[in-house]
Amino acid sequence: MLTKKQKRINWILVAVLLVLSVFFLFPVLWMLANSFKADAAITADMNSIAAFIPPAPSGNFFENYVSIITDTNFLRYMANTLLYAAILIVLSIVVNGLAGYALAKINFPFRDQWLMIIIMLLIVPTETVITIHFLIIAKAGLLNTIVGYILPLIVNPFNIYLFRQVFVSLPDDVYEAAQLDFCGPVKYFFTMVLPMSKTVVATVSVFTFLNVWNDYLWPSLVFTSSDLLTAQIGLNSITSNENTTMGQTLAVITLVTIPVIIIYSLFSKQIVEGVTSTGSKEG
Amino acid sequence: MKKKNSIMGMAFFGPALVLLTIFLFLPMLLTFGFSFTDYFALNPELTHFVGLENYIDIFKDELFVQSFLNTVKFVIIIVPLQCGGALLLALAINKAAHCKKYFKVAFFVPVVMSLAVVSTLWMQIYSPEGILNTLLANFGIDAQPFIHSADQALPSIAIMSVWQGVGYQMIIFLGGLQNINPALYEAAEMDHASAWQKFKDITLPELKPLCIFVFITVTIGAFRMLVQPMVMTGGGPDHSTYTIVYDIYETGTVNWEMGLASTMAIVFTVFVVILTIIQNVLTKDKEGRKHVNKKAKAN
Repeated sequence: MLTKKQKRINWILVAVLLVLSVFFLFPVLWMLANSFKADAAITADMNSIAAFIPPAPSGNFFENYVSIITDTNFLRYMANTLLYAAILIVLSIVVNGLAGYALAKINFPFRDQWLMIIIMLLIVPTETVITIHFLIIAKAGLLNTIVGYILPLIVNPFNIYLFRQVFVSLPDDVYEAAQLDFCGPVKYFFTMVLPMSKTVVATVSVFTFLNVWNDYLWPSLVFTSSDLLTAQIGLNSITSNENTTMGQTLAVITLVTIPVIIIYSLFSKQIVEGVTSTGSKEG
Repeated sequence: MKKKNSIMGMAFFGPALVLLTIFLFLPMLLTFGFSFTDYFALNPELTHFVGLENYIDIFKDELFVQSFLNTVKFVIIIVPLQCGGALLLALAINKAAHCKKYFKVAFFVPVVMSLAVVSTLWMQIYSPEGILNTLLANFGIDAQPFIHSADQALPSIAIMSVWQGVGYQMIIFLGGLQNINPALYEAAEMDHASAWQKFKDITLPELKPLCIFVFITVTIGAFRMLVQPMVMTGGGPDHSTYTIVYDIYETGTVNWEMGLASTMAIVFTVFVVILTIIQNVLTKDKEGRKHVNKKAKAN
């Protein structure tokens, strides 16, 4: 039970945090409210509390959103990004999962040395190699192709390590039983190991999705053709267009954020677990 | 059996190994190799070995030195604000008996938004007639140029980055606070310890490995600053927000001077590796292993 003094301190604390959170969120509130307004209204409302209140619903309430969706390539960019994310999620689970399994359960030559190397690779920041990735993809004639965008992103030492840490604690006897059952090792991996490790599969999928969705530098290097752009790069090409109004800019950045909000609300448990246990966002 | 294991091992590890070789081992070797040459990607036949010349040249290059100093400025502003802010928020939210869930979500919201989205939004917030200047005017503060002046652009971007990132470290600290054994506090209460004593003798020591971890990851994150200036200022005004990674990117992929870009990338990587080693030495990797093992067991 809280004493009277503790109760008072608690209320002060809660009040301070409430005020702080409102100040903290003012850019987001402003973005949401004004994404429904024409530029004249945004400017007119600027110096009053109306700047943080959406306009009354009317026929053209969603005008900025409608014009973004109908007049620009925006939906195309969203669909592209979803497609790239889907391909990459499947490939990262297969490639990194198989490698993680080998490092955890198969006693092949130099296994422990490979594990050490994978752990050491965790230190290398992507910026070290990104110009060379660009050079390799350019020399291979793969600029402006989906393959060129995806290839360097499949393998990820962090995901290999994550899979390995989970697979290492799987019981061995199930594997031995599967051997007797003439169940091929690869089939066993896909029908037994992965389904038994749903949590790590979900974690890797969610973080792969977020990386693809939020990445800026690599897609901006690979893609110049407007048909292939991801949402983040497309957003930049829309907002840097002179004809785009302030209201439309706010609408487009709201739209780009919606899928991420859905992912966060569906998988908040995995994400918070991932954040608190490893603290690595970039992977 | 042994032979079967090596075949199977390679079948499982092989696909990853091929990709690791092409997209990590080879690029790392090339970056290192190119850093001693004047490799110009548009004219590779004219490449010479130049020894350590690039390493001397980049530190004579005013632009690189400026981008280096800018990056250091970003680190100096961002690290204390983001680490300290995250810790204070976590302590306050952990203590608050009401609205806990709301606070966690509220301060985490900007983390959900991408760097490009946040940068685009804050370009509007920071605009000369924008909402921030309007709010400041109500407090009697003159309109500020923010990202449009060489003096204010860097701190403006730094503060925006803290705003975007602080919720992430707050969640890490909250996780750490919840992991502290309540028996420690109960024992301290028996001894009539004050709130400050409890904080100093229990909370801080228990959080120490996490503090080091957060400190280093935020430092490395600030060191990698690129997207925000790229979207908001193009590195300007007067290169006041040009960073190391920005310089690597432009030198390598815009000017195709892979030799110089590789040298910068090596210098950048050395800093990141040193920071990571410091972190591992200071925390002796205890915290990381404990967490990963716990996670492995949970599955």
